[in-house]
Amino acid sequence: MLDRLGRSVRRKVGDFLYALGFFLDVVKESALLFRRKQVGFKVLVMQILFTGVEALRISAVTAIAIGAAINLIGTSLLSEFGQSQVMYTMLIIIITRELGPLLTAFIVTARSGTAIATEVGGMVVAHEIEAYVSVGVNPVAYLAAPRLLGVVVSMVVLTIYFNFFGLLGSFAVVQLIKPIGIEEYFRNLAAVLRPGDLGMGILKAFVFGLIVSVVSLYRGFSVERSSTEVPVAGIRAVGSSFMLIIVADAVLTAMQYAG
Amino acid sequence: MSDVPAIELRKAGARRGDYNILSDVSFSLPEGTVTFFMGVAGSGKSALLKTAAGLRPPDSGEVLFRGTSLARMSRKDEAHFRRVSAFVFQDAALWANQSLFDNLALPIRVHEGGMSKAEVERAVRRAVELVGYEEDLRIRPSDLSSGERRIVGLARSLVLDPELLFMDEPFSNLDEAAIERVSGIVAALKERGRTMAIVTSQSEFAGRYADFVAVLGGGGLKAFGSYEQAVGWEDASVRSVTGRLRRRRAEPKSATAWGLAGAWAEALAEDKAVLESETKVPEKKTKDQGEATLGDIINAVPDEDEEEDRGVAAEGGGNET
Repeated sequence: MLDRLGRSVRRKVGDFLYALGFFLDVVKESALLFRRKQVGFKVLVMQILFTGVEALRISAVTAIAIGAAINLIGTSLLSEFGQSQVMYTMLIIIITRELGPLLTAFIVTARSGTAIATEVGGMVVAHEIEAYVSVGVNPVAYLAAPRLLGVVVSMVVLTIYFNFFGLLGSFAVVQLIKPIGIEEYFRNLAAVLRPGDLGMGILKAFVFGLIVSVVSLYRGFSVERSSTEVPVAGIRAVGSSFMLIIVADAVLTAMQYAG
Repeated sequence: MSDVPAIELRKAGARRGDYNILSDVSFSLPEGTVTFFMGVAGSGKSALLKTAAGLRPPDSGEVLFRGTSLARMSRKDEAHFRRVSAFVFQDAALWANQSLFDNLALPIRVHEGGMSKAEVERAVRRAVELVGYEEDLRIRPSDLSSGERRIVGLARSLVLDPELLFMDEPFSNLDEAAIERVSGIVAALKERGRTMAIVTSQSEFAGRYADFVAVLGGGGLKAFGSYEQAVGWEDASVRSVTGRLRRRRAEPKSATAWGLAGAWAEALAEDKAVLESETKVPEKKTKDQGEATLGDIINAVPDEDEEEDRGVAAEGGGNET
């Protein structure tokens, strides 16, 4: 019993150290990506296309719907307390600081996280990763680094895009309840918007992008032999990413308010 | 021939989870020799070959390439090791998301970044001609039969004219013509003094080309020796694997092997002439074998910074995620 427990703890510690080493390696190779001319440049472009550009539609629809819902709930609730003027502050806080990065991260995890984990896992099973090593290509530099950068860049851009459409969705509801000009609406928002709100949103997007990409790559590279491990890697990539994103969100929010 | 072996394993072990695939395996592959690794299915032949080729780090012990441990190699030395060695995978392991041309061109782009497009095309063409592949190179691996994929996988391993070749079951799952072709390539490589480590379950080919034979089983190396010694091994479990090996008689070399070796030498000479006429070629390095490889002709090994800066001038690697 104790022996089994000890082995389990040792394996968990080993796995954690391996994951930490993998994270540092991917980050290091990503930092050096542009020094290594043309390494995986096409992979980077394709990743931005898939993770960022192809997710624009779903992000826009989600953002508009969420923005509208927040406005509807906020308007009815705040007016009961005579606090309707707080609506703009609430929109900025909820959309730019919280839901923008969080929902964008969920979208990116669901689309790109699973795709990265299953694709890399499939490459491991087909011995394609070993083939890269055999010809002198570092798989982390060639496959992982451009994917990490692609996901992080896409996350930041998509979050800004989400914020804009979320506030636009809210504007649509405002038009139904108490029509105002779009200039006035955005002027009111700008009046309560602080650089810290935008900064925190972007910081969260950056951190969540790191989490999604590293976790998905790690899960993909962790596949060992069987093709049945590939979908499992996809599922684990989503589960671990969601959990870490939520924890990171709580930590960053706590840091902002504590600071 | 140099006294330092091309590859040496010292007490190397490989594990999968808690299960020992191999333990305490030691042997060396002298330069310019052909060693066949044999054993029943699941005896760890492929794991051993990948360990020797530096594709999976040993869980214990060490692997040395020309006297230097793979684990302690500098970036530059590792790049050189990858440049002069190649691996033929049992399942071809072609990159599914790249065209056949890009599959074949990637090793050249990695190691010979200064080559022009025309030079890369010429090297790729030479490799596919060598293996007898005649179809379109713009298609992807999924459009090929498994036998064709293996042939293209072999071409990829030959594209840089390696000095050291690891081959995992190169004769299996091929039609007769392809087997003859692959056999001729092995003969031609042997003729040209290349070092080869070949995993096979077909003793016929060991009988033709082996200088050394290794038998694996029971989680380790059961026997290792020259071909002449292998024919005389008496241990029943070893004989069950090597029992069909017979004392070798002097055989005339096959026309295919002669043809390939000659064609190869001609192709290299032609490449050299073309490159010399197109570019100013750096000083050629002297080889133990006294023979120039394509790499010598094209480029001297770059220094570490140069290697790092150049990186992979490739266009593929991924993907649709």
